[in-house]
Amino acid sequence: MLRRENRKKRAFLTARCLIVGVAVGSVRAGSIGALFLVTMGFSGRASAQDAAAFFRQNCASCHTIGGGRTTGPDLKGAHERRSRAWLERFILDPPGTIASGDATATKLQREARGVVMPRVAGVTPTVVGQLIDLMRAESALERSQFAGMASAQRPLTRADEALGRALFSGARRLEAGGPPCMSCHTVRGLGALGGGRLGPDLTGTYGKLGGQQALATWLASPPSLTMQPVFKGHPLTPDEALGLVAYLKSAGSRGGAAETSSVNFVLLGLVGSIFSLVLFDFTWRRRFRAVRRPLVTGGKR
Amino acid sequence: MDVRSQISMVFHLDKCIGCHTCSIACKNIWTDRKGTEYMWWNNVETKPGTGYPTRWEDQEEYRGGWEVRGGKLRLRANGKAKIITNIFHNPSMPSMDDYYEPWTYEYSELIHAPEGPDQPTARPISMVTGEYIDIEAGPNWDDDLSGSPVYAENDPNLAALTPEQREQLFAIERLVFFYFPRICNHCLNPSCVASCPSGALYKRGEDGIVLLDQTRCRAWRACVSACPYKKTYFNWQTGKSEKCILCFPRLETGQAPACFHSCVGRIRYLGVLLYDASRIEEVATRPDEDLVEAHRSLVLDPFDPEVIAAARANGLHDSTIEAAQQSPVYKFVKVWKIALPPHLEFRTLPMLFYVPPLLPVMSSAETGKVANVSDGLFHVADESRMPIAYLARLLGAGNEGLVRYALRKQLAVRSFRRAATVGDVEKSAAERMLAEAGSSPEEADAIYRLTSLATFDDRFVIPPAHREEAIEMMKDPLQHKQEVGFGLSVAPRRGL
Repeated sequence: MLRRENRKKRAFLTARCLIVGVAVGSVRAGSIGALFLVTMGFSGRASAQDAAAFFRQNCASCHTIGGGRTTGPDLKGAHERRSRAWLERFILDPPGTIASGDATATKLQREARGVVMPRVAGVTPTVVGQLIDLMRAESALERSQFAGMASAQRPLTRADEALGRALFSGARRLEAGGPPCMSCHTVRGLGALGGGRLGPDLTGTYGKLGGQQALATWLASPPSLTMQPVFKGHPLTPDEALGLVAYLKSAGSRGGAAETSSVNFVLLGLVGSIFSLVLFDFTWRRRFRAVRRPLVTGGKR
Repeated sequence: MDVRSQISMVFHLDKCIGCHTCSIACKNIWTDRKGTEYMWWNNVETKPGTGYPTRWEDQEEYRGGWEVRGGKLRLRANGKAKIITNIFHNPSMPSMDDYYEPWTYEYSELIHAPEGPDQPTARPISMVTGEYIDIEAGPNWDDDLSGSPVYAENDPNLAALTPEQREQLFAIERLVFFYFPRICNHCLNPSCVASCPSGALYKRGEDGIVLLDQTRCRAWRACVSACPYKKTYFNWQTGKSEKCILCFPRLETGQAPACFHSCVGRIRYLGVLLYDASRIEEVATRPDEDLVEAHRSLVLDPFDPEVIAAARANGLHDSTIEAAQQSPVYKFVKVWKIALPPHLEFRTLPMLFYVPPLLPVMSSAETGKVANVSDGLFHVADESRMPIAYLARLLGAGNEGLVRYALRKQLAVRSFRRAATVGDVEKSAAERMLAEAGSSPEEADAIYRLTSLATFDDRFVIPPAHREEAIEMMKDPLQHKQEVGFGLSVAPRRGL
């Protein structure tokens, strides 16, 4: 009787699983369809504006069109310098192209002091085509909208550096509400406990990205996979970006890497724990400890 | 006047023989499950002694019950502010060690032990961890250990005695002890109910039994620290607290609770008391020495027409009022005034009353033999071997006069009966004693009957529970009336 009951229950469960499975499957098919529709829409009428927006968000941090070299090369006339097929292949998968031993790609990497262009999320053959079209159109203009930030060239001052330090450590808020750098990054000379360990140490970044203009444009819209979603809605103002550049420049000039602060950290933790234990013991000094055992072991109370 | 009914109890300590039958009856019915091994909803203690859990009466340590602060009643351990700040660590929580670690024995050792030079023994095993343990304590560990330096001398009630009295109490040949059976007092002002952050405890409206809702309990254990009598327990298996339920399933079917039913010495009485609920707070804030009388004044006369009218207005059934009129508890507490509540200074207003023990024979070993000190068989209450100060601390909230009154009346009744049955006491002397004790021959006869001759029905006057009325709230009893009777109340299961 019981077994039959169980079998029935199992059959019922299987049926339910099937139904749920089918339901989930159909939902997934629906979402693929939706994606397809979105892609179709993207390739439609609004493609020129979309491509410009895409460029600003993903490419402008390393490339200019007619603004000179930043981290990556100036793209003015790139469509003339390289074949369309090569451009398509490279933009779709830069690390792959470099790894394949392509001579042009290797040379470019050397010119960028080893910085490898990442694979950009959302790049499809359609998007690449539009980007190349955009490059051609913008190259033809006298001054492209992607010629780079005007303010990025002005000389850095002491005030910039102080502002950068305040922004980095969070002593001053970023205007658009982005999180302070220190929550994820550390840098040399930041203080006894250093900054966050989630992101990389930023001490050498100024040198690595190739100077003021490159770093300022990079900061204006960070393209990396982790930083892009964080700062997408909260972009830095040009002054903030320059301040941080100034701060990172002075940090980099000191050389080396950020001080390791784990000993300080452990010591502080230890002192904190002991302090709180003493505090707890004092606060609850009248707590119930034991009645029977002291009675028996100590004879009279 | 807010008249309510309460099932109340009287334990006659003079009759308790300390056999623990009540404890076993309770254990077999309610606490033989896993996680409840260490619980004794009913336990019997030896006084003077430290009891179970050890020194439970010491509220400096356990911080149970209420105290009056700024003219208002406050929980000693966990008022609202304290309960929030200490919700993850209750600083007044006794550990299992203060009760005892429950154990069983490895009986298979007796049969399967390898051959050896010594007798095989059954080693004790912890019922919590399953490991071998050395037994260090039990629920009645100090049984009969009067005078022991660890247990008897640490009784918190001894603080009421002078050093001289304490010395006398523990002198060889003068040792004295009595038994003190304890269950939940089903208090009028229960601190366990007040302390529960989840609202899991409640006092049943119809009969005042304090119950703990197992589905609402969230294991905060505030009740464990708040109960000054330490009569709520935490079940470490289910993660819920449990307590004495006064065998309400038995009560609802007209049977006495198991511990009452099984009592060998017939020391237990159960009946309804009508009380005035509107005065509880005022009574509970009285100074210690007035507490017992104030508590007694809460109990209303069930024959008073005004009380009866107010009771009816409050929805009390006539059968409950009738049961209150026949209640043996009412006689002991209110009419004869010989039953007193334990530790009323905890201010929970317990509804379990104790008749103080006489311990009459006063003896000494001055001549090398044990000899009676007082002239007659019965002594004077104030020369009782158990100092009145001690009993007053235990049962009178420190008020010796009330304890003395109860003892003298009992002595007078004994003399009166001695005169009637044996005749070695002058009848006139006995009647004079009765008059001095504020009693009369009629009352003495009634006390004697209810103490010595009482039947089940005299001792347990259980009001009908009227569950049929309660059921009407959830179901219509006439739902199937005039239906033809075909069909099934539970549909058959067919097919696969």
